[in-house]
Amino acid sequence: MAVIEVSNVDLTYRVLLNRNGSLKELFRDAIKRRNRVIDYMALKDISFSVDKGEVVAILGRNGAGKSTLLKILAGVLPPTRGTRKVGGSIAPMIELGAGFHPEMTGAENVLFYSALMGRNLKTVNERTNAIGEWAGVSDHMSFPLRTFSSGMVARLAFSTATDEQADVLLVDEVLSVGDADFQEKSKKRMHELINSGAAVVLVSHDMSAVRELATRAIWLEHGHVKMIGKASDVVDAYEAN
Amino acid sequence: MKYLPLIRLLVNRELTLRYKRSVIGIGWTLLNPMLTSFVLWVVFSFTFGGRLVEGQQFAPYLMAGILLNTFFNQGTWLASESISSNSEILTKIYVPPQVFTISAAISAFINFSISLLPLAIVALISGQSLSFSLPLVAIVGGCMTLLVAGIGLMLSTLFVRFDDARNIVGVLLMIALYITPVFYPISILSKQMQTLINLNPLTSYLEVFRWAFSNNATPTFANWAYMLATSMISFAIGAIIFKRSWPRTVAML
Repeated sequence: MAVIEVSNVDLTYRVLLNRNGSLKELFRDAIKRRNRVIDYMALKDISFSVDKGEVVAILGRNGAGKSTLLKILAGVLPPTRGTRKVGGSIAPMIELGAGFHPEMTGAENVLFYSALMGRNLKTVNERTNAIGEWAGVSDHMSFPLRTFSSGMVARLAFSTATDEQADVLLVDEVLSVGDADFQEKSKKRMHELINSGAAVVLVSHDMSAVRELATRAIWLEHGHVKMIGKASDVVDAYEAN
Repeated sequence: MKYLPLIRLLVNRELTLRYKRSVIGIGWTLLNPMLTSFVLWVVFSFTFGGRLVEGQQFAPYLMAGILLNTFFNQGTWLASESISSNSEILTKIYVPPQVFTISAAISAFINFSISLLPLAIVALISGQSLSFSLPLVAIVGGCMTLLVAGIGLMLSTLFVRFDDARNIVGVLLMIALYITPVFYPISILSKQMQTLINLNPLTSYLEVFRWAFSNNATPTFANWAYMLATSMISFAIGAIIFKRSWPRTVAML
């Protein structure tokens, strides 16, 4: 059963040719009939699907469109053309800690972050202590986030994001957070989540991790699919390139 | 309405942050309009004070105007900035972006509600009693929230795309202050000017608000209708425009 289905997706960014966007320039360019934007196609005709329990890795150089694709899957960017269907709840592990505010306490931030991910706040409220404890910051939870070290913030974000099992997991290089101890711990948890039957899409430059985790892989180049298939085959071809 | 709890948290956050950062906390919301009103009262009470209709008091008249104008100003700013200031979140997690704009408008409404307390004090001091229609203030507040949310939805995508949109809005908000009878009675104006001022939706909101709070104005049925209509139209148009321009805007965040 396909949990994620992407068909014929294009994504076009509009890039301003001149400087920055201002109404003054818009007006001036309109009078002079100057063309002010060009369309930049970040993704061209992408189609694939991910089944339940499958782990799909997205490979490619910087600027190949990996993060853009992940954002489309997360529902953050609407595709210019084509459709994206995702069934079930999504855990977007893309740059963790979005919406964390330095003046709010650890517990408040956990609650807010969870609300952003559309979770049931009653359950989160009961889990807050456990989340803090897992992150190793339980004695800080009632202090403002600005008193946390950056490692503590990252750990709290990871702990919150991975606290609930989602149907779809979107992972953008978050397998390494915090110190060595915590990295081990978080890696273990990631593996648990991945192996628990969620549909996973992960972006990584770490080829050994991809070989280890992914069942299939998609190789993106300049916004289109260069190769799609069994993870080991795609990784071999990518590394030979 | 899966996102109702998020709206509550957002409003909560906006308010706690606002009050946590200042030394006297919530006192600012109470003190600020009082001080502004006092200054304007000193300046204008001699010129305009005596021109009000018999039975109306200038101090609460002025302060009601300032409070509602603050609500409109602050709400428009917060709502219009809501998208660009939350771009961090909007580019990472899917949340209906309108949630932020609506929360901003609600925050402004709550600030306004808090500031009704000093207004009540001023009304009582100047010898008025709060009228039985006081609960109707909630309708004015609700309408203003919708109006401001609608304007915010229209402007927020502009704020993302154009840097100088803020400057223009700043000027427009100042003009709005002067074409609303905040510190002068409408009756002192010429007939043509009165028509113009009455075309400004804010005039209707203000008339209804002053009447509902302490019977300090005489709104007509047209004022009520205009207020209800503009709030709903603003929100509807804002929602449509926002939905249309969002796909292009989000790519620029």
